[in-house]
Amino acid sequence: MRRSATELRVGAVAYHPRVVTIWELFLDYFVREGVSIDYILYSNYDRLVEAVLAGDVEIGWNTNTAFVALEQELGSEARILGMRDVDATFATVIVTRRGETFDEVRELAGRRLALGSRDSGHAAILPLHYLGEQGLDAASECELVRFDTDLGKHGDTGDSELRVIQAVARGEADAGALGDATLATFRAGRVPAVADLEVAWRSPTYCHCNFTSLPSLDDGLAERWQRALLAMRYDAPGMRHPMDLEGVKRWLRGDRAGYASLAAAMRNKSPVA
Amino acid sequence: MSTRRLDTGELELGGGLEVLVAAALEGMAAGERLEVLTPSRSTALELPGWARIAGHEVVGERTPAGGPYAVQIARGPFARFLAEPLPERGSGLPLRSGELHTADLRPAADVPPAVEAAAGFAPLGAIAERGSPPFRWGLNERDAIWADDVGDLAEQASAAQWDASRDIPWEAACGLPDFMERAVSQVMTFIAQNEYAALYVPARFLVDINPRYPEMLMWLASHVHDEARHVEVFTKRSLIGGQPSYALASTELSLRTLLDEHDFSGAALLLNVLGEGTFLDLLRFVERHAPDAATRSAATLAHRDERRHVHFGISHIRRRLAADPDEKAALVGAAERRAAKLTEMSGLSPLLTEGLTVMAAGSLQPAELGEGAVAVRELIQTMEGNRIRRLRAAGFDRRTAKHLSDLHTPNLM
Repeated sequence: MRRSATELRVGAVAYHPRVVTIWELFLDYFVREGVSIDYILYSNYDRLVEAVLAGDVEIGWNTNTAFVALEQELGSEARILGMRDVDATFATVIVTRRGETFDEVRELAGRRLALGSRDSGHAAILPLHYLGEQGLDAASECELVRFDTDLGKHGDTGDSELRVIQAVARGEADAGALGDATLATFRAGRVPAVADLEVAWRSPTYCHCNFTSLPSLDDGLAERWQRALLAMRYDAPGMRHPMDLEGVKRWLRGDRAGYASLAAAMRNKSPVA
Repeated sequence: MSTRRLDTGELELGGGLEVLVAAALEGMAAGERLEVLTPSRSTALELPGWARIAGHEVVGERTPAGGPYAVQIARGPFARFLAEPLPERGSGLPLRSGELHTADLRPAADVPPAVEAAAGFAPLGAIAERGSPPFRWGLNERDAIWADDVGDLAEQASAAQWDASRDIPWEAACGLPDFMERAVSQVMTFIAQNEYAALYVPARFLVDINPRYPEMLMWLASHVHDEARHVEVFTKRSLIGGQPSYALASTELSLRTLLDEHDFSGAALLLNVLGEGTFLDLLRFVERHAPDAATRSAATLAHRDERRHVHFGISHIRRRLAADPDEKAALVGAAERRAAKLTEMSGLSPLLTEGLTVMAAGSLQPAELGEGAVAVRELIQTMEGNRIRRLRAAGFDRRTAKHLSDLHTPNLM
């Protein structure tokens, strides 16, 4: 069969070479499950969102920022076809040097706060949003130290968050925001800069990535895709490798409520502004 | 549902806490709850991220008045590894007067008759995780490679290692008269040349052995290592006196045909039983007639190793023939195929004969040279008699043993 004749084209962003491995193996999986897909990689999420809106791909593997941007562009609700288990209760943490923690976010006023890429939901947009909800307008009350190193990739590479913790560790910032999952990954990798940092604050939880389609996607096709996705087993020998690379142990249906705060944060505001 | 409680003291994530919590969760069923107690607010704030990435879920957090922070983690449904749970601790391995012997790694009855060709490098007794990449080993059946005492032989090989730089009294080899140095150097070069083949043959099979037969790996690795040391010691002896010698084309031809044998048992017959067996007598001869202690010592030490290799060959072939008498035809076929390639070879190389004769004579005086020639003739007879004896020990009937011995290469190996 010609690959161009597949039922579904899935778009994803190539934030790392492993994305190719992941999607080659996922592609085989979906074909085995009777859903013929192909994948198309983009260099950034703006392109991916455009591609979903233009119908170049039927499904986009979006960050939360990309999903909210897509819905705002669409002007109506898009369809969420699934997310990773780790996406369901994501949180942002703020770290400080050991012994320099704070009890109330107001204590950060006048201090230097490091943030990851400004288009990253978890490392820039949401920490500012939640701090605002808790009474700190960090953009005006703190000295923001921004690391916009992987713009367009919405923080996926982890590079800007690495710079955040390095800045805090070196004393170039007093506190720094990053994803709780990123911090756990740095800890597991024994990244030296996190050794003397402690968590001072944790945000409410929100949802991160999801598979998004336009509402017009055929219901039967959407259902078959979702059924295959949810049936992917971490305990199946051939699947552990790509699922580990993707950081997922179980796929979930997805929950729109988990994007409310990011949507509020981004309302009428471009994420990179 | 009951909740287990884990007091983590001052431990932090990245500082050992994750090891303690993971170990506690490992022994719990999916959904079971573990309450982690920590005096650190920072750790309590960080645990949910760790738990989520590890596949678990934080289901409750509280700060009891005056007490430590408590984070409730529900164990996730996934095993960390794609393998069944580890079995209960067993009785372990038996010791012999404090020593742990290779032969005691597993009872003979536990050596599987056949193993999965795609198996990886999981060590003996380890539970292999599913999903590892497939390998393609060529030697996956016990009877095709095994000897009942292979564990003991590997054990002996480890215990009998020696050092070709320091264990030979090299100074004793210096200063021999030219005629004798030339004779010894030629014999040493001949032996070293043959030892190369003795190294390459097991080395080629070594990389094809299924890792589920580690005793065989240990054995073949020791075999290869022994031969490397033999190449070393005989090369050193051939060079120490400054007298180069010839590496003969006829020897190359003979050795080349050894590498053509791709069946393990066929190679064991041709190399271990026939070739190295015949070399046992050659090394004894060199030991007896060596003009210096260094040459003698090299021959003695190499003989000790070769005896192990010959023992393995006999033991393997005997086991193979006992398990499958039809194997005899295949083994005879291997010897016949090799002999067919060597039809143009006849008798020992004159250079080797001369070298051995001079060594046995100890001088170039006619009378003594005559005695040397007799000694070499006797050596050839001894070799033949012992070859037949070894073939009989390997399980061949008298006629076949004689036939195989007659087919053996005039190059000795």
